[in-house]
Amino acid sequence: MKAIFAHMQSWLRSVTSRERLKTEMEEEIRFHLEARAEDLTRQGVSPGQAMRQAKIEFGEVATHLDEMRRSLGLRWWDDLWSDLRFAVRILRKSPGFTAIAIGSLGLAIGANTSIFSVANELLFERLSVPHPEQLRLLTVTGDEKVVINTIWGRGNLEPTGGRSRYDSFTYPIYQQLKAQNHVLEEIFAFKDLGRANTSVNGNAWSARAELVSGNFYEQLKVEPKLGRAILPSDDMAPGTGAVVVISDSFWNRAFGRSPQVVGTVIKVNMIPMTVVGVNPASFTGAESVQVSPDLFMPLSMVPLMRGSVGNSGSILSSSNLWWIELMARSKPDISEERARAALDVVLRAAVHGTMTIDKDGTMPQIELEDGSRGLNDTARAYAEPLHLLLAMVSAVLLLACANIANLMLARATARQREMSVRLALGAGRHRLLKQVLTESLLLSFAGGALGLLLGYFGRTLLPNLVASAWEDVEMTIPFSWNIFAFTAGITVCTGILFGIFPALAATRAEIGSTLKQAGSTASRRRKAWSGRSIVAFQVALSTLLVVAAALFLRTLAKLNAIDPGFRTDHMLLFDVSPPAKRYPPPKDVELHARLEEDLRALPGVAGVTASDIPLLAGVMMNGGFFIEGGPEKDFNFRNEADRHDMSRFPEMAHVGNDFISVMQIPMVAGRAFTHQDTERSPKVAIINQTLANKYFPNQNPIGRRFTQKLPSSKDRTWIQIVGICADSRYNNLRDEPLPLHFDLYRQQADADSMTFMIRTRMKPESIVPSITTVLHRIDSDLPAMNIRTQEQQIDDNLQQERMFASLTSGFALLAVTLAGRHLRHHLIHRGTANE
Amino acid sequence: MTKKVDLVQGTLEMLILKAVSLGRLHGYGVLLRIQQVSGEQLVIQQGSLYPALYRLEHEGKIKGEWGESENNRRAKYYTLTATGRKQLAEETEKWNRMGEIMGAILRLTSGEMRS
Repeated sequence: MKAIFAHMQSWLRSVTSRERLKTEMEEEIRFHLEARAEDLTRQGVSPGQAMRQAKIEFGEVATHLDEMRRSLGLRWWDDLWSDLRFAVRILRKSPGFTAIAIGSLGLAIGANTSIFSVANELLFERLSVPHPEQLRLLTVTGDEKVVINTIWGRGNLEPTGGRSRYDSFTYPIYQQLKAQNHVLEEIFAFKDLGRANTSVNGNAWSARAELVSGNFYEQLKVEPKLGRAILPSDDMAPGTGAVVVISDSFWNRAFGRSPQVVGTVIKVNMIPMTVVGVNPASFTGAESVQVSPDLFMPLSMVPLMRGSVGNSGSILSSSNLWWIELMARSKPDISEERARAALDVVLRAAVHGTMTIDKDGTMPQIELEDGSRGLNDTARAYAEPLHLLLAMVSAVLLLACANIANLMLARATARQREMSVRLALGAGRHRLLKQVLTESLLLSFAGGALGLLLGYFGRTLLPNLVASAWEDVEMTIPFSWNIFAFTAGITVCTGILFGIFPALAATRAEIGSTLKQAGSTASRRRKAWSGRSIVAFQVALSTLLVVAAALFLRTLAKLNAIDPGFRTDHMLLFDVSPPAKRYPPPKDVELHARLEEDLRALPGVAGVTASDIPLLAGVMMNGGFFIEGGPEKDFNFRNEADRHDMSRFPEMAHVGNDFISVMQIPMVAGRAFTHQDTERSPKVAIINQTLANKYFPNQNPIGRRFTQKLPSSKDRTWIQIVGICADSRYNNLRDEPLPLHFDLYRQQADADSMTFMIRTRMKPESIVPSITTVLHRIDSDLPAMNIRTQEQQIDDNLQQERMFASLTSGFALLAVTLAGRHLRHHLIHRGTANE
Repeated sequence: MTKKVDLVQGTLEMLILKAVSLGRLHGYGVLLRIQQVSGEQLVIQQGSLYPALYRLEHEGKIKGEWGESENNRRAKYYTLTATGRKQLAEETEKWNRMGEIMGAILRLTSGEMRS
C-alpha cells in the first residue's frame, strides 16, 4: 500500500515537473563526470584527457537518460506525450478533416444530449417531493350517460373505448371520499385557478394561483424554506384563511428574495392575503413537474376567489360541479385493486347521497392513476412531438457515427502508404496502432467537449422553442450527465473502433505489396466495400431527414402563405381580466368599454377594439344557432346523434363595435357594427360568408334573426343579422374558415376576460408604455397581461410547425453536407481505383 | 592484477542498497564504494548505475536529496529507507543461502556422489 503510494507520488512528481526533472538528471550526471575526471587527474591523467576518459567510462549519456526516465515509469507517458504531439500535428495538417470530424461529433452529441434531456424531463421526471412513487391521482371514467355534466376545468380527457376520463370531483364527493377513505393515506385536493391579478406593494403582477387543501403540504411532505406551510387550520370555514405560500420564483420576481416577505399582505384578485411562507425552489406543486404555481392558497378561499361558476351556485356546496383534483399516497400493505374497489363503493354512495340523478344516468367509476408526475399534462401534450424529435435526433446520431466511421476509413486508406513506409522503416506495429488510437481519442475528446458545450446550452435553449415569445420561460431542464455519457460514449466508441480497425488491417498487410501497388490490394478492396455500405447508409438516412424536413417546411410555407382574412401588421394585443369581486356584471362590460375609449384617445393609435376570443390564438367558442322560423329541435348532449349534430354549432366571438374596421375584415353585404349599436338597442350580429352559405343557402340572411338558446328554454332573446363579412381564419391557420358570427360584447350580460387589439400608426411595441399608463389610471391593480403583437400571436400559433421545420432542416442540412461530401469523395475515389 | 568479474544480472541493485546502507552517498560515491569493497574486482558500466538508482528511488527503497559535496558542489545524496533496509536483509539472506547451496553443489566430487 505504502509502496503504491510512493510510486504514485514519485510518478506524479516526475510528470508534473518535467523540466526540473530533466535538469536534475543532467546535473547529476555532470557531477559524476566531473568528480570522475578530478579523480583521474589526481591519478596523473592530463585534465583534457581526464574528461574524455570519464565520458567513455560513463557510456552514452542520452541512452542512460532515457533509461532513467524509464526507471521512473515514465516510458508510456513519454510515448503518449509524443503521440499526442504527433497527433495534433497530423490533425492540424488536415484542418478540413479535423473540423468536420470534431464538428459532426460535437453536433451529434450536443443535439442528442439536449433533446434527450428535454424529453427525459418532460416525459419521465417526477414531482420533487419525498417518495413521489407513492402518489396516486384519483380520476373517474364514465360512459356517455354518466352523471358528470358540469365541469370547471378540463373534462372528458382522452376518451377511449366509449368511456370518458375526468380528473375532477365535486366538493361534497371529495368530503365524503376523504372522510370514508381507509385504503389510502389521507386524500388531499388542489385546484388550478389560472392567472390571478396580484398586487404587491402597489405593483401589479399576473401570477398563477393554486388552491390547496389544508393537508396538502402535510401529505406531500414538503416544508417551506421560509415561514410555514398551509395548515389544516387555514382551510376551515368558506371565505376564511386569507394566507398564501408563494413560490421561490415569485418570491424572486415580486420580492427580490427579501427575507422580510413573511407577514407581507398582498392583494390577489383584490383580496388581501398574508404571505406566510416561501416554497423550496424545487417544489412545483402537485399538478406539473416543470412549472410551479406562484401562489398557494387554502381551498376555503374559493368563494372569494371565484364566487360561482356558471349557474352551479356556490362552488363549495355545489353537488353537480366537478372541479377539484384529488391525490393521495398509497398504503404499503393495501393492493391497488383493493383500494380502488373500496373507494369505488364510497364514490357510488357519495354520488347517490349528494346528487339528483336522471333516470338513465350512469355511475362513474373511480380509477387510481400514477400521480408521481402530477396531472402529467406536459407529457400528454408533448409526447408525440418529442417522440418524433427523438427519432430524428437518433437518426442524426447514427448519421454522425456513420460519418465518423467513413471519415476514419477514408483517412486510413489515404494513409496506408504512410503506414507502410513507417513499418518498413522499423516502427513497431504496436506503436503505430497506439499512434492511430491516440489520434482517434484526441478527435473524440475534442468532439465530446464541443458536444458537452452544445448540450449544456442547448437544453436551456430548447424550452424557448416551445414557449410564447412574450412569456418568461420558467421551465428549467437539468443537465443530465447520464445522457451525455451515453451519447458521447456511442460516438466516441465509433470513432475509436473505426480508427483502430483500418489501422489493424493496414499494419497487417504485407509491407511490400502496399508499398509497390497502393492501388488495388485485397485489403484495399475490402475497405472500399465497407466504405460503400456506410455511404449507402448515410444516403438513406439523410434522404429520410431531407424528406422529413421538406414536409415540415412545405407545411410551414403553406401556412405562412395563407391569408388570415384580416390585417396582421401594426397591431398590438393584450389581455385584461377584471376580477369578479370588483367588477360584477355589468361593471365588467363598462370597464371594457371605458378602456376601449381611453385607449382610442392615445396618440399613435389608429383604432381599438376588443374580443373575448382573440383570432389565431388557438382558442374557440361555439354555441347554438337557431334561426327564427327554421326547423326547431331540442338537443340532448348525451345523445350520440345530437352530439354529431353539434358540428352545426357555429363558432363565435364577442367583439367591440369597431372590430370589423380595426381588423380590416372586408364586408360582403349589409353593414358593419356602429356606435349606435348599444346595450339598449336591438341585439345585432355579423356573420361570415361560410356561415351564410351553410345556414342560408340561396337566401338573403340580412335582416333574419337567430337565437342561441335551445327551443326548450324560456328566455330566448333574438339577435338580428345586419351584415355578412368575408371569411377569416379563426382559431388557427391550419383549419379552413369555419362558420362564424361576431356579436357585440356590450350587448351581453357579462364579459370577464377580454383581449384588446390596438391598430397603431407606429411600431406596435412602442405604444406599450402608454397602454400601461392608461390601465394604471383606470385601476392600478389591473395588469395588462400577455402583451404581444398580432404577428407574434400567429408565430406562437405556428410554433410547433416552426420548431419541427427549423430542427429538421438543420438536421437535414447537416446530413446532406456530411453525406454529400463523402459521396462525392467516394465516387471519385472509386473512379480512379477502377481506371 | 586480479581477474575482473562481470556483474551478474540483478545484483547491481543489491550492491547499491548495500553501499548506501553504510552511509549517505552520491551516485559517484556509490560507484567508488562498490569498487572499493569488491577490491576493484567488479566491472560496472558507470552510466548504468543511474537507471538503477532511479528505479530504487521510484520504488521507495532509497531516498534522494540534494546536498553539498566534499568540495562544495551540489550533488544528489542517497540514503536507505526502511523499505530498502528490509529488502537488503531479505536479499542478503537469499544470497547467503544461494551461495551455500551453489558452493555445496559445485564442491561435489564424483566420489561423494557414489556413496
